[in-house]
Amino acid sequence: MKLLLVGTLPYPDFPLTCGEVGFDGDELAVGGRKFSRTQGTGAMITAALTVTNYLKLSPPKVLVAGDTGEGKGTRAMFGYLIENIGELAPDYLVLHYCLPIMSLVKRICQSIDVAKKPVFLIADAGGMYAAKAAKLAPKFDIFTPDPAEMAFLADPAATHPAYVSKHLFAQDASKVPRQIEAAYKNKDAAKLLIVKGATDYIAENGKIKFTLSEPDVPPLEPIGGTGDTITGLVSGLVYGGYRPLDAAIIATKTNRAAGRSVNPTPATLVKEIADAFPAVLDKYLSEWSKNPAA
Amino acid sequence: MGLLGNKDKSDKSAFDGGGIVIFSDVQVAIQGEKTVRGKGLSVRLVAPPPELRMGCDLALEINLVEQGIIEILLKNENIPYVKIAPLKKGTQELLNIVKLTDFGNWMMVKAGNMKLTYDRRDGRIVNISGGGCPDVPYLNLQIVGKRLDEAPRPRDLGYTLCAMMLDVALVESLKLWRGGKRE
Repeated sequence: MKLLLVGTLPYPDFPLTCGEVGFDGDELAVGGRKFSRTQGTGAMITAALTVTNYLKLSPPKVLVAGDTGEGKGTRAMFGYLIENIGELAPDYLVLHYCLPIMSLVKRICQSIDVAKKPVFLIADAGGMYAAKAAKLAPKFDIFTPDPAEMAFLADPAATHPAYVSKHLFAQDASKVPRQIEAAYKNKDAAKLLIVKGATDYIAENGKIKFTLSEPDVPPLEPIGGTGDTITGLVSGLVYGGYRPLDAAIIATKTNRAAGRSVNPTPATLVKEIADAFPAVLDKYLSEWSKNPAA
Repeated sequence: MGLLGNKDKSDKSAFDGGGIVIFSDVQVAIQGEKTVRGKGLSVRLVAPPPELRMGCDLALEINLVEQGIIEILLKNENIPYVKIAPLKKGTQELLNIVKLTDFGNWMMVKAGNMKLTYDRRDGRIVNISGGGCPDVPYLNLQIVGKRLDEAPRPRDLGYTLCAMMLDVALVESLKLWRGGKRE
């Protein structure tokens, strides 16, 4: 089984690189090049790799390229993925930070269809924006929006979260259930949604299956990357054989427990929280695996 | 206010819209907006019409009667644009909602889908969150740890709508930290 994590890195000169990822001191490394565990793809990969290491699985492959927003790295990365999907042959594919170019995500989905090998598709960040805007959401197995992104999924006209209609924009968690309903109705939701917020909502095939509000750790919201780690955790867990719904529940529980354990302030860095994942998994994974929703 | 500050009374009374300038990317659209607005003309940043959208892009709504002068302005400033056309149904405005969350020593300023948090004691940016475009992690590396009045502007470094919204958050944060009132 192969898990492939695809996302841009915040370095203008980081070349297109594909290979197994590993930890190297305080950083991550692929193909002899290091990159940081900061907000974005780095935080997502850190969480996924922590899970695969914990479960003693082969590490994920990553496909990364430097991109500071102009889209060059995104185009190189997605072009490589489209051309080589047969050889890469991922069983689980995660699309993360990237310039949300609808046409390229359409071509990725087409290339997967042509390869005729089922791929479990997870998207967050720019990957999710492009998938939704291109009306491809039902092809995806998991989306992991935050409340602003949930409002975007609920707005059939929006092609980016910056264009969400004001009446849909979530100012409180109470709007999220109706937004989930709207996104499924409009076919703008993946099969499973993890809405990451003050209350985490997990919905599957149109129905809310689980919510989680405890422990309540408000400083997690301003810490950049705490949503990215949920995407990485759930990716590692489904790759490890957990059912998507169970993986989603355990991912949200793990993120909150790790957050609480470091007693964060709004100035805490996401890597400090990610460093607490092994201890949380050690303490709780066995128990949570028996009855995730308990 | 900053980037999305198109809301003053004179703007509203003078703005009929009706035309749209399409650019190849967000950063060029921002340059175009600055140039046209700098000459005293009324404009508004909006999404391109659905058939022209790529996913993360930006257009400029203009008074169609000013098309001629705007074409000249953009050409004189070497700002490339794809085309100028009548505005069609389906154009969306940028989300322009700012919300504050008080964390005691820290203040989180949320602009649209982007959040910036700073230390109220020294004005230092401690975290940014939200967004999903590639310049967000890059801007994290460039501005986190810097004081609000020393940090580079996200709109000058970034290329995407996420960077634009983060710029709004930074401008609002600076105003708050300096003791100014929000508009």
